[in-house]
Amino acid sequence: MKKMYSNKLVIFSLVLPGLLVFLFAILAPICLSVYYGFTDYSGMGEAVWVGLENYKTLAHDTKFFISLKNSLLLAIGFILIQHPIAIVVAAVLDKLQGKAEGFFRCVYFIPNVISVAVIAYLWKFIYNPDFGLLNNVLKAFGYQGQINWLSADNAIWAVLVVLIWHGFGWGMLIYYTGIKNIDPVLYEAAAIDGADSKTTFIRITLPLMVPVIQVNVTMAIISALKQMETVYLLTGGGPGDRTQFAANYLYQQAFKAFRYGYGNAIGVVFIIICLVVTVLLNQVIFRQRED
Amino acid sequence: MKKKLVAVMMTAAMTAGMLAGCGSKNAAEPQSTKTSDTDSAAEDTTSEGAGGTEQSAETAGEAVTLKIFSNLPDRKNGQGLVEQMIIDEYMAENPNVTIEVEALDEEAYKTKFKAYSMDGMPDVVSIWGQPSFLDEVLEAGVLAELNEDDYADYGFIAGSLEGFKKDGKLYGLPRNTDIQIIYYNQKMFEDNGWEVPSTYEEYITLCQTIKDAGITPVAMDGGDGWPMACYLTDILVKVAGTDYADIVSNAVASGDFTAPEIKEATQLLVQAAEAGVFQTGYDTQDYGTAQNLFTNGQAAMFAMGSWECSMALNEDIPEEIRTNIRAFTLPPMADGKGGANDIAAWNGGGYAVSANSEIKEEAIKFLNYMYQPDKLSKYGWENGVGMSAQDQSSFMTGNETELQKQVVDILKNATSVSGTPINDCGPSAFKTAIESEIQSVSNGTESIDDFLAAIGAACK
Repeated sequence: MKKMYSNKLVIFSLVLPGLLVFLFAILAPICLSVYYGFTDYSGMGEAVWVGLENYKTLAHDTKFFISLKNSLLLAIGFILIQHPIAIVVAAVLDKLQGKAEGFFRCVYFIPNVISVAVIAYLWKFIYNPDFGLLNNVLKAFGYQGQINWLSADNAIWAVLVVLIWHGFGWGMLIYYTGIKNIDPVLYEAAAIDGADSKTTFIRITLPLMVPVIQVNVTMAIISALKQMETVYLLTGGGPGDRTQFAANYLYQQAFKAFRYGYGNAIGVVFIIICLVVTVLLNQVIFRQRED
Repeated sequence: MKKKLVAVMMTAAMTAGMLAGCGSKNAAEPQSTKTSDTDSAAEDTTSEGAGGTEQSAETAGEAVTLKIFSNLPDRKNGQGLVEQMIIDEYMAENPNVTIEVEALDEEAYKTKFKAYSMDGMPDVVSIWGQPSFLDEVLEAGVLAELNEDDYADYGFIAGSLEGFKKDGKLYGLPRNTDIQIIYYNQKMFEDNGWEVPSTYEEYITLCQTIKDAGITPVAMDGGDGWPMACYLTDILVKVAGTDYADIVSNAVASGDFTAPEIKEATQLLVQAAEAGVFQTGYDTQDYGTAQNLFTNGQAAMFAMGSWECSMALNEDIPEEIRTNIRAFTLPPMADGKGGANDIAAWNGGGYAVSANSEIKEEAIKFLNYMYQPDKLSKYGWENGVGMSAQDQSSFMTGNETELQKQVVDILKNATSVSGTPINDCGPSAFKTAIESEIQSVSNGTESIDDFLAAIGAACK
């Protein structure tokens, strides 16, 4: 057996399938993307090499910057709104014990289980000015006006609410698992010392959760950058480009405007941005851990 | 050691599973490969027997699978139903032919169309005879050339084939004549004492009156962009009259949309939106939502193309509303060049045959079958889906819905027809731009000058 493992051919044959998947499913498409990013390919016919033309256009494309700004806004929303609430809810859940714990854990996670398409249409109806839930609730309280929740000024906030709500359960579940892994002896010791629940949360739970928070924040930022399907179905980036996100803009340019080459250029810049963000985050986290 | 052995075995099992997975996929394939084999065999025999192609296919009775790619996913109503009826009939008449339909809605359709164009198109496909779609498609050479002489007695309306041609060669056939109209709820109008406006100014005043009564004047699908662009086309036709086509094609060619007529039409659209002619939040609402407002009686009017004539026969719509839907075209303006009978209409959607189809003959045979005057055109007429691009006068029974009769009259009385709507006159980058920017300009977040500059830039 040992002999077999030291046989280079065996090692190679075992690694090969994974390597092939990586080569053909990940590396090759990225290389093709880079290539097409330098062409004016429309998705059909001939691709003509245009050099850096696409990237020059992209540098002056205000819509691309609007979509990046929106992605940033979403990342901030995730970090400042979604995650603090998720940690607190996870901590409270942990304290609930018994049936209630399982029940609420389930309830909070439900939005994550429902398909994105359903979520988007659900919220479309909630936001509808004529027959939507929100305006009807307001009406029940005596408000006579008709609020346009997806107007040019409100739309981005309305979309952020949906995205933050939708991703909440996922973040919470990871925090919850993290909290469950904290040794209960610590809490017992704190209780003996007379610490109340607020103090134990701040002094014990939070510090021990730092690695989990770091992982979660990294994932939140990446998912904010990659956001596409909910926005596509909810507003399609509109009105105008007010709720445009980078991935949706890429899709629009490549598959609606059939500027396939330009779409690939956006894709390449997008990959670079994601890589830079990940590397930066890792550095920050790594340094913190060293301290 | 044991653990490792288990791990090795698991890996082996997984690899085997993967291979089996591939295998089963292959196993599922033969059906299609088999048919394509026989297809090419059929083609071989047909190419041998030069003249009697139809006969050889029929007498041989070899199994042929014809793949149709359609943009009509609703196979139970409207045009999708008509298409399916013809397909079923064709299969009944030609037992050796199996027709497989793949249907997606417009946007998904166009995306997949591109994908198909790279690795083999289905045999018969839906297309649009408009520059925004067809220019790139014809450039890529994925559509088969049709013989125009074959269609001499098919009754195509004069000029309706033009959009489907390139360099004088025909590549597709139009399915419809689409007219931009305003549907209204006649009962609601009568109950409130409102009258169908005869001038644009009256129309705006009427909208104000309706709004004051707490009802949405016009339901508009602004979220998709193109219906609003069609509406803008209508306004522009009323402003510029028969100059519409020249003004737009010049603007697209030069990328300069500052022509006074385009500016004025845009301004009128913006003013109307500002005055609350459309429902609140029109700029993010989709087709279904806008239509529902109208069919539920929450909106008095609905701006859409004549293909929605089938609303009058759609049993999902409450009878009280369904039977009271009527139509008018956007009325003329006091200082506009377009008269009441200069209408915004075009021949948009249609069908074509794939250039690389292995059973091209069979596909063209089916296409021609579909376009026999007593098929697409007649069934469409009977199902109230609006007008085909062929002469339908012989199908008039007198039992048509009031809505149908009105729309027929609108076309019959037309003194001029605009042709392709503005958003479809340029490349697809232009189409994407105008359909997004029109939301911004109409809701006031972008100035008219910026709008015109932005759509102009997308033409270059």
